[in-house]
Amino acid sequence: MEHNVLTYMIFIPLAGAVVVLLLPSQSYHLIRWVSAAVTVPPLLMASWLYANFDTTTVGFQFVQKAAWIPAYNIQYFVGVDGVSISMVLLTALLSFLCIFASFGIDKAVKGYFALFLLLDAGMMGVFCALDFFLFYIFWEVMLLPMYFLIGIWGGPRREYAAIKFFLYTLFGSVLMLLAILALYFNTNPHTFDMTVMMAQAKNYSTQSLPFWPFNELRWGFQHVVWMAMFIGFAIKIPAFPFHTWLPDAHVEAPTAISVILAGVLLKMGTYGILRINYPMLPVATADMAYWLLGALGAWNIIYGALCAMAQTDLKKLVAYSSVSHMGYVMLGMASFTTQGINGAVLQMFNHGTITAMLFLLVGVIYDRAHHRNIEGFGGLAAVMPVYTGITALAFFASMGLPGLSGFISEVLVLLGVWQKYPGLAILGATGVILTAGYLLWTVQRVYLGPTNEKYKTIPEIDGREIFTLVPLGAIVILVGVYPSVVLDLLRTSLDNLNQIIIPHLPS
Amino acid sequence: MDASLIPLLPGAQVLLTALVVMLLDLFIDEHERGLLAWISLLGLALCGAEAILLWGSSEGTFGDTLLLDNFALFFTQIFIAVAALTVLSSMRYVRETGIHEGEFYSLILFATTGMIVMAAANDLMVFFLGLETMSVAVYVLTGMWRSSARSSEAAMKYFLMGAFATGFLLYGIALIYGATGSTNLNQISAYLLEPQGQWPPYLFVGGLLLLVGFGFKVGAVPFHFWIPDVYEGAPTPVTGFMAVAVKAAAFAAWARILMHELSPLDSDWALPLRVLAIATMTIGNLLAISQPSVKRMLAYSSIAHAGYLLIGIVAGEEWGSTSLLFYLATYAPATFGAFAVITLLTEQDKPKEDYGHFAGLGFKRPFVAMAMSLFMLSLAGFPPLAGFTGKFHIFRSAIIAGHTDLAIIGVLNSLLSVIYYLRVIVMMYMNEGGVKGKSFIESPYLYTAVGLAAAATIYLGVLPMRTLEWSRSAFSSLF
Amino acid sequence: MNGAQVGFFILAGLLIVSSLWVVFQRNVVHSAMALVAALFLVAILFLTLNAPMVGVLQILVYAGAIMVLFLFVIMFLNPIGLEQRRRLWWGFGALAGLLLAGALVPVLTNGDAPRDPVVATELFGGPEELARSLFTDFVLPFEIASILLLVAIVGAVVLAKREP
Repeated sequence: MEHNVLTYMIFIPLAGAVVVLLLPSQSYHLIRWVSAAVTVPPLLMASWLYANFDTTTVGFQFVQKAAWIPAYNIQYFVGVDGVSISMVLLTALLSFLCIFASFGIDKAVKGYFALFLLLDAGMMGVFCALDFFLFYIFWEVMLLPMYFLIGIWGGPRREYAAIKFFLYTLFGSVLMLLAILALYFNTNPHTFDMTVMMAQAKNYSTQSLPFWPFNELRWGFQHVVWMAMFIGFAIKIPAFPFHTWLPDAHVEAPTAISVILAGVLLKMGTYGILRINYPMLPVATADMAYWLLGALGAWNIIYGALCAMAQTDLKKLVAYSSVSHMGYVMLGMASFTTQGINGAVLQMFNHGTITAMLFLLVGVIYDRAHHRNIEGFGGLAAVMPVYTGITALAFFASMGLPGLSGFISEVLVLLGVWQKYPGLAILGATGVILTAGYLLWTVQRVYLGPTNEKYKTIPEIDGREIFTLVPLGAIVILVGVYPSVVLDLLRTSLDNLNQIIIPHLPS
Repeated sequence: MDASLIPLLPGAQVLLTALVVMLLDLFIDEHERGLLAWISLLGLALCGAEAILLWGSSEGTFGDTLLLDNFALFFTQIFIAVAALTVLSSMRYVRETGIHEGEFYSLILFATTGMIVMAAANDLMVFFLGLETMSVAVYVLTGMWRSSARSSEAAMKYFLMGAFATGFLLYGIALIYGATGSTNLNQISAYLLEPQGQWPPYLFVGGLLLLVGFGFKVGAVPFHFWIPDVYEGAPTPVTGFMAVAVKAAAFAAWARILMHELSPLDSDWALPLRVLAIATMTIGNLLAISQPSVKRMLAYSSIAHAGYLLIGIVAGEEWGSTSLLFYLATYAPATFGAFAVITLLTEQDKPKEDYGHFAGLGFKRPFVAMAMSLFMLSLAGFPPLAGFTGKFHIFRSAIIAGHTDLAIIGVLNSLLSVIYYLRVIVMMYMNEGGVKGKSFIESPYLYTAVGLAAAATIYLGVLPMRTLEWSRSAFSSLF
Repeated sequence: MNGAQVGFFILAGLLIVSSLWVVFQRNVVHSAMALVAALFLVAILFLTLNAPMVGVLQILVYAGAIMVLFLFVIMFLNPIGLEQRRRLWWGFGALAGLLLAGALVPVLTNGDAPRDPVVATELFGGPEELARSLFTDFVLPFEIASILLLVAIVGAVVLAKREP
């Protein structure tokens, strides 16, 4: 069935960016409110999508297809299934909220909002694209505004952080481009259509390459392509050892951009693996999953948590906690069990909402105190009770307290992994303890104890800030109590994905 | 002998405009000289219209020494577009720098005439004369900024190097004539396709000399050393004209002569061409990184792009050649636009071309900076801009033709090029200060030129289909 | 060996001697005069090849006009004493010369005649035949050459014009 709702969701922000560019550059209020208005229709459409999404079918829904460059079989082809729907919803929501979180920007306002909307369009496009060429274009379209948003509106070391982010991601996308071309030339007829590639997955050779010396380890065309794709996506996740751009980028980026970066962009790494590596290269996935997804994921959890514990900068702490939490996603994906993979995708969604809250909260305190040194605060609970309350909610969700969303996804992941790899499950569970450790320690240092004299008169969180946090908090609680609101969307597609891989798993 | 005049029409139209501009210049007052630019634009527009109307025709004239086919018309359109943009972006610049307007515009038109002849030439003599007409006009254009020592030096250097290259070409043509008994490409091709024992060895020497001559003209490594100095010294709009139109004209002739008509010799120059392509890409990019001046950086970047274009020549056949034409179309707006932005930065008669001069441009002139970012990103090959689609087609054709290694080297090279293209963007947006308020050439025509180039950069990236179709029918008209 | 061949070898020998004279002569004016002689001998070679028109043009254009310019420039700059031996250039020149000779040897010894050797009739190089081919087969290049000359004139004027 042809449907153009997704097209609207992608191109309304793009059109909005053009409109913003045409507004007079001094009328800040107008620019802000126009930008906010532009993000409303995609949000409404996202709710409509949620209401009308058929949770029982495996296939892509709301697809739209049009020839774009027919000479090369390049199409405009968009659609969603269970793997992407939750990400589309998350993107629409966070884009809307982050516009409000950006109202404090006062440098080159017009450029900021135009780039933000362009970024919005790019993100939406990545999650909806079903043509590989289109996917790559959106992937790159998203990279550029991000680079500018960090590089122009960031903190003192913004230039360094922006270039680091850019070079890492560019390296990944070039590898990805080569992998895309390799798949293109091995698909018959040559096409960029992802659905065709998925259908032809069994045609991609798994024969070991002639120069490969180890007989017991397969390393064929599929594996090479898989690695190229994986490195491209691992940089985005970011998986150890490709994570070093993340703390720098987060620390320098303005609050709203940190939120988008952690909330949406990181998910593209794991989303890409699920969308591309899993169905298109199932044999390689089965061969690689244990070490490169499972073990690396567990290591990510522990390593990220330990790094977070050592930080004195509040924002860097949250950044490393992202590294740790994305480890659960990789771990869950690697288990190929219903619980594991559903938990992984739910964790993607939950991490998006929870980390968004955390970064917004750090932004609130930074706007007032102009520093983020954990040791420099103390006893904020007495001065800012509302703020502290919301922060506590976010922290508890992040450490996986029952009744909040983080708990559900982490438990599902660990349950799933336990059935397959008990060792990794134990490592993952250790991560939960470490997480609780650094978060509680932070709460104690920043919010409890004697009030710091300097911040006796610090103003309480204001209405606009609360407005950006409340919807996220509500979702965190709702998913924590009744996870089916999200899980129902995912289940059919993810089970199908599992079924593709399981026959190829080494026994 | 058939002597239909229709195939001469586009070239004659531009020539006529050139003569009108040259003569009218004598009869009008100093302050009315702006009129000449408009007459030039009008003439170019008429030529463009004729080229559109003639699209699809395939007609030779004067014993097939000149062919009017889609291939010639495709390039004619590129030349006209670039010439028109050059005129637009020079309208204020020539005043500021004290360049004589009448001669400037007429020389641009003369050069364009030469290019149109080159693209349509089906005879080595005609091609050579077209090349010389273009080259002489461009030598003079390079040196027209009389009060700038750099400009005169560049003109001298360009002239000497150009004469050198001409020597190679002419000697190559003479040897080929000696071997095949004709300068007409049809007859040369017929001779080469004839089954027979052996070609005389000096035919290969002739082919090699032709290769060297073309190498000079497009600036392929190791014949590139004149490019940076000449590009830097020439008045900036002329540099843009050179970097795009002159290069395109040389590639047009190259494609027609070496790729199609002399294609039986393919296997003999596959290797030298491959080496040339790899060296040109890599060395162009490596040297571009260390340049302190944006104009010089762009000069080296144009060398690197000549390397990518050579991949198209190596790949040959239908896809390689189509992508060569398409790449030229995508390369044109971004490169020309970048030079137009440098033109815009000129203050009175002081060129401002260093990276430092771009600092803070993003806040002083947001739209100019945005256009410049588009050009840089397009040259670096970012989707969805023109440069990406162009590179994509070139590399794809290389893979289809079995030159996967060339494609991979090309991709790695474009990754390398990001370093220096990005530096411009970093300067414009992430460094404050630098550009002062009233230090631009604020001409609406120059802004128009920049805007048109930016629009073309986006258009060719997002909707490449039509141009691709044109390139293909242009290429297939060669057969 | 017939008379024509004897004549050719005498001419060719003289040509080589005068060409070497151009290169090895230290006095610039003497070099130039030797060049005139070489060009003149080439013109005579053309005459023996039934190409009187080309021969005459060779004398008129090269030996006449261009050499006059050469001498004019030499007198203008008076470069006595400027000429010094440059070892590097000698090496370079010798290398280029050897390469050219190397390239010519296979060509000359191969014995392959051009496929369609142009029939050198009585008329072939005469003014009439030249004019005919110039105004029929090569009328287009001829006309384009006039544009080229026009461009060159405009260019020369632009570059040489006195600045206001």
